[in-house]
Amino acid sequence: MSTFRMWEVFAKADEGKFYKDQAEWMLKSFIPEMKRVIKEYNIKYDKHTIVNQDDDLADRAWAAAKDFFVSVGVYNQDTHRVMKFTEREANEVLYTKRPCYFVGAGHDQRWLRVRSVEDKEKRPFHLFSPDANFSTDIHKKACMAYLKEPLLDGLCAPLLEDFMGRKAFSQSPTEVAAAMEHAMNLRDAQRLVGKPDVWTVSVGTAESAQAQIAAGNPVWGVRQSHLDGRMVSILTEMTTNNAMLNKSLHYREYGNVFGNLCGAIYGGHAGGAEGTMILQLAYNIEGACLYGSCWALNFPFHLKWQSTTTRELLWVQSVLSQAMSRNSNLIFLNNLFANAGPGTDQLYWECAAHAIALECCGGNPWGAATCRNKFTDMATPLESRFYHEVNEASFKMRLTRAKAEELCQKIVAQYEKLIPIDNYGKRIQEVYDMDKLAPRQEYLDQYERMRDEMNKLGVEFAY
Amino acid sequence: MSVAQVRQYMVDGEGDAAVELVQKLVAEGTSAQDIMNGLTEEMGILGDKFENFEVFLPDLMIAGDAFMQIMGVLKEHLVKDSEGEAKTIVIGTVKGDYHDIGKNIVGIVLQANGFNVVDLGADVDPVQYLETARKEKAAVVGISALMTTTMPGQEDFIKLVSDAGDKGKYLVCIGGAPTSVEWAERIGADVWSFDAFECAAKLKKLLG
Repeated sequence: MSTFRMWEVFAKADEGKFYKDQAEWMLKSFIPEMKRVIKEYNIKYDKHTIVNQDDDLADRAWAAAKDFFVSVGVYNQDTHRVMKFTEREANEVLYTKRPCYFVGAGHDQRWLRVRSVEDKEKRPFHLFSPDANFSTDIHKKACMAYLKEPLLDGLCAPLLEDFMGRKAFSQSPTEVAAAMEHAMNLRDAQRLVGKPDVWTVSVGTAESAQAQIAAGNPVWGVRQSHLDGRMVSILTEMTTNNAMLNKSLHYREYGNVFGNLCGAIYGGHAGGAEGTMILQLAYNIEGACLYGSCWALNFPFHLKWQSTTTRELLWVQSVLSQAMSRNSNLIFLNNLFANAGPGTDQLYWECAAHAIALECCGGNPWGAATCRNKFTDMATPLESRFYHEVNEASFKMRLTRAKAEELCQKIVAQYEKLIPIDNYGKRIQEVYDMDKLAPRQEYLDQYERMRDEMNKLGVEFAY
Repeated sequence: MSVAQVRQYMVDGEGDAAVELVQKLVAEGTSAQDIMNGLTEEMGILGDKFENFEVFLPDLMIAGDAFMQIMGVLKEHLVKDSEGEAKTIVIGTVKGDYHDIGKNIVGIVLQANGFNVVDLGADVDPVQYLETARKEKAAVVGISALMTTTMPGQEDFIKLVSDAGDKGKYLVCIGGAPTSVEWAERIGADVWSFDAFECAAKLKKLLG
C-alpha cells in the first residue's frame, strides 16, 4: 500500500479551491488544461496504429498525464472543492509505490506486479472476470465455473442482480444483502473447486460504501489483508465524493490489496484518443495519490459502444500501458469490454485483439466482459479461457510490439465493421451444461476452431 | 457582422463576443428568431459531427455554454417574436448514481433542439424529480442510470409518479448504458433512447 498520508489527503477535500458547479470547473480548468497538455507534449494519434512502437510518445504521454493531474486536481462532488496535489507529493507517492504484492494464500498465492514492455521474464497475472450480472439461482455455479479455469490467478466474480426476488438497489437493504450473499457464494464456490485461497476482487455487487463494508467478514465474506482485493471508483472525469473516500478508508483499515477502477470515456470530456489516453493515465496517478490504491484497473471505453476493443481504444491502452511500464511502479490491469456476446466468432476475435495488443506493452489481462455489459447471464468462462490463453501465448512467444501490431491489424479487421451491430450471442445456460459446469460440445468446437484460426495467424499456444 | 459570425463565435465558445454582436444585430433590426434558427442549425451540425466522432464533448460543451449565454439575451425578444413557448424537460441521474456524462450530453442536445432543460445533477432523489416537474410544469422527466444497481431507481420514480397522481401529466424518459428498450417496457417508461440524438428526435416527434 502507498505510504502517502491518508488524512492529509482527505483534508484536501475541505481546503481546495471552491467551484459551485462541477461544470464550471470542467469548463474553466479541465478542458483548457487538457487542450494545453495535448499540444505542449505533442500527443497525436494517426487513427491507424493499434500497438504503439514509439517509446518517446509513451514517455511524453506519461509527462503530460502527470502535468495534467497536478494542474487540474480532483473535484470533490460533496464539498465542491478541488483536491490538488503538488508535483512533489505526486512524486513521493510514485517513488514509494510498491511494484509487487503477494496475493492470495497457500497453493493459490501469486505475484501481482509491474511488468515491463516486451517483458521476457514476468508472466502476466490472469484475472478472470465476466463483469456481468448473473441470476441468483446460478450465481454460485457460475462462480465455480470460472474458478475451474486452469490459467486463473485471481477472480472478480459474477455479480448478483437480485436478492429474494427483488432487484439489488444501490444504498438499500437489497444491495447490502446481495453483496453479503455474493461474498458467501464466492467463499463456498472456492472451497468446492479446491481453490479456497485464491485472490478475489470482491464484491462487485456492492456499489455503495455501506454494502462493501457489510460484505467484509473474515469467516464468510471478504477476507482481510492480501487474501482479497477490493475496488474504489474514480468518477468521471477526475472527480470523487465522500462515498468513494469512505470506501478507500475502509479498504485501508481492512488491509486489502485494493485497486482503483477507472474508465476514461472516448468522446467524453477528454475528447478523442489523445485526451482519453492522457486522462486514463492521470487516473492511475490519481488512484495512487487520492485513494492509496495498490493497483488500477484500466477500461477506457467508447462513448457510443461502451467497449474497449475499438482500434483507437486498443491504441489508448497500448500507449498508457507502455507509459506506466517505462516510467513508474504503478501496477495495472487492462480490462476487456467486448461488443459481441458468448457463442459468436466476433467475441473471440475481440478477445484475441485485446490479449495480444496489451501483453507486450506490460499489461495484465482482466476479462472477459461481453455484449457491452448490458445483459444478465450473458458471459461464460469459455471466452475468458480463450482470452487468457491468447495472452499467455503472446508472453510465451515473447511477442514484440512490431509483431503484435502486425497480428492485431489482421485480427481487428475481422470484427471492426461488425461493432455497430448488436451481436449479443447466447446466455451461459445455453453455452454451458450448468450441472457439469462445462461447455457444451457445440461451443467447445467453436472454441477449438477459433484456436485454429489463431494458429493460422502464427499464434502458438502454450498447451 | 452577421448571423454567420454569431454562429462562429458560438462554436469557438466566445460567448461574450457573441452576446455583444447579437445585441447589435437585434438593435439594427435582425429578427431574434432568425438568429435563434441559425444557432439551432449550427448546434445541429455540431451534434452530427459529435455523433460521427469528428468533434468531441468539450467542443459541444463550449458551444453549448455560449449558446446558453446568447439565449439569455435572445429570450426576451423571442417571446415577442414567437407564439409558442419552449417545452421544459427535467433531467438528472438517478439516486445513488454519480455518473453524469450521458445526462450532460442529453441536456446539451435537448437545449440545442429548442427545449428548456432543468438539470438536477446526479444522485437525485425521486421526490426532487417529482416536485421539480410540478413546479416547472415539465413536459418530460428524463432519468439516467449508469449502473445495474441504480436502474431500479428509474422504476421507483415511475411508481411514484403513479402513486402521486401525476401519471400522464408528463412523459418519463429513461436512458443510460445498462438500460434497454426491454427494461423501459418492463418498468413502464414512456421513452427509451439509444443516445442523446435519438432522445431529442423522439421527444420532438412526441411533443410536436
